[in-house]
Amino acid sequence: MTGRVDPAETVAYVDNCLDPQARGAFEARLQADPELRCEVAQWESQNRAIRAAFGAPPRSALDLGDASNENVVRRSAESARSVDGAARPFGQARNRCATASPIAPPRPAGPGPTARRLAGAVALAAAIVWVGLPSLGPRPPAGLLAAGAAAARALADLPVEFVAGDPATLAQRLGPRLALAPPLAPDLQLVGARFAPGWRATATLYLYDNARGERVALMVEPLDEFVAIPARRGEADGFSVAAWTGAGYGFVAAARADADVAALVAAAGADDEFLADAGAQRR
Amino acid sequence: MSSVREWSDDAGALRRFGLALVRDDRFVFDDVAACALIDKLFRQASLTLVDSPGEDRRAARVRAFGQFIRLYRRYARRLALDEDGGWVEAPPSTRGGGSAAVGVRRLPLELREALLLVALAGFTHCEAAEALDLPLAVVVDRLVRARARLAAHMAAARDAVAAWPQNAYLRIVK
Repeated sequence: MTGRVDPAETVAYVDNCLDPQARGAFEARLQADPELRCEVAQWESQNRAIRAAFGAPPRSALDLGDASNENVVRRSAESARSVDGAARPFGQARNRCATASPIAPPRPAGPGPTARRLAGAVALAAAIVWVGLPSLGPRPPAGLLAAGAAAARALADLPVEFVAGDPATLAQRLGPRLALAPPLAPDLQLVGARFAPGWRATATLYLYDNARGERVALMVEPLDEFVAIPARRGEADGFSVAAWTGAGYGFVAAARADADVAALVAAAGADDEFLADAGAQRR
Repeated sequence: MSSVREWSDDAGALRRFGLALVRDDRFVFDDVAACALIDKLFRQASLTLVDSPGEDRRAARVRAFGQFIRLYRRYARRLALDEDGGWVEAPPSTRGGGSAAVGVRRLPLELREALLLVALAGFTHCEAAEALDLPLAVVVDRLVRARARLAAHMAAARDAVAAWPQNAYLRIVK
């Protein structure tokens, strides 16, 4: 029966790191599970033995914890829920169970017809300016693009650290922080992944082989910003590079051929001016 | 008055924690050497810790413990490097005894510091993660492993005592 209880939760209970609600639930399980009671008693006696061995005064009986105590298990579950709910790139959200659509709340009273017409005219003008002058729109940070290009230049031709041709296996190995199944482009074969220095944090460098046996790299770096910005193109040391952001990640695709970068960008679903540029060049 | 008493409590807890941490029966074998090392590390820590006026007691305590741990890690790393710069792994302690103190001393440093922070100094898991500069999940994992190892050590010591022959007697030397 103890096998179903997370050891982290047991340790959190013994160390007074559960909030009152979780503590109550855990104690209910304790009542029903003598093996778990035995384990808890063992950890508590170990705590007492350590404090006695090093001359610390005995701890008071289990209190409900300080204000700073936090419930590790609850936090993990909440974090997992928030990650599940967040938009994921590469269409991964489509694989999850569909949730029931919530009932739409009643619409608040909006502005009058004149105000709506005025707002529509302003929005139309803004859209015209946005489309006509793409350089004024948001751009992915230059640092991200430079970091991706540098990582591709230094690491793309080295052996991979995580060998896997299957995106799901690769994502599982890389853990929850970078658990993104890499996109699969039609002409590129996934080889594996490496860790690489990103722009602000550690990034994952997914590596592909193209038909000519050249390496193509896609760097994925977790970012704090969730703003989706379409791809920005650049070149560095003979590499064609495209960088974009979305869903809390920064992406940089780097390859020697423009077509490979365009294929990766298209597979990742980042529609952008780069695709249009690449298409125009091919025409 | 109460703040003075609180700080003296924390200083006492830090000293107790330091003595338990550095006395590992590998590099530091007795309490005299441990006290000397603690005093040295305290002096270094006091030079680097700057008072910040708005800091509450909890944050100050976490910061002081964290700084002490960083200094001791640096000291232990330096000890483990030989003259040629190579890494020398200290042999595990072979001192006998089944007490909790001996079991704690036999733990590797990374497990020992997490266990002592929580069990001896009374830190919560989140505070321990902050002081150790590690993710919370890593600290919890280390705590689970440290407790399992310590329990195994104490159980082995109990078994050894139980296996001792009941009719054993001390030889009388005249």
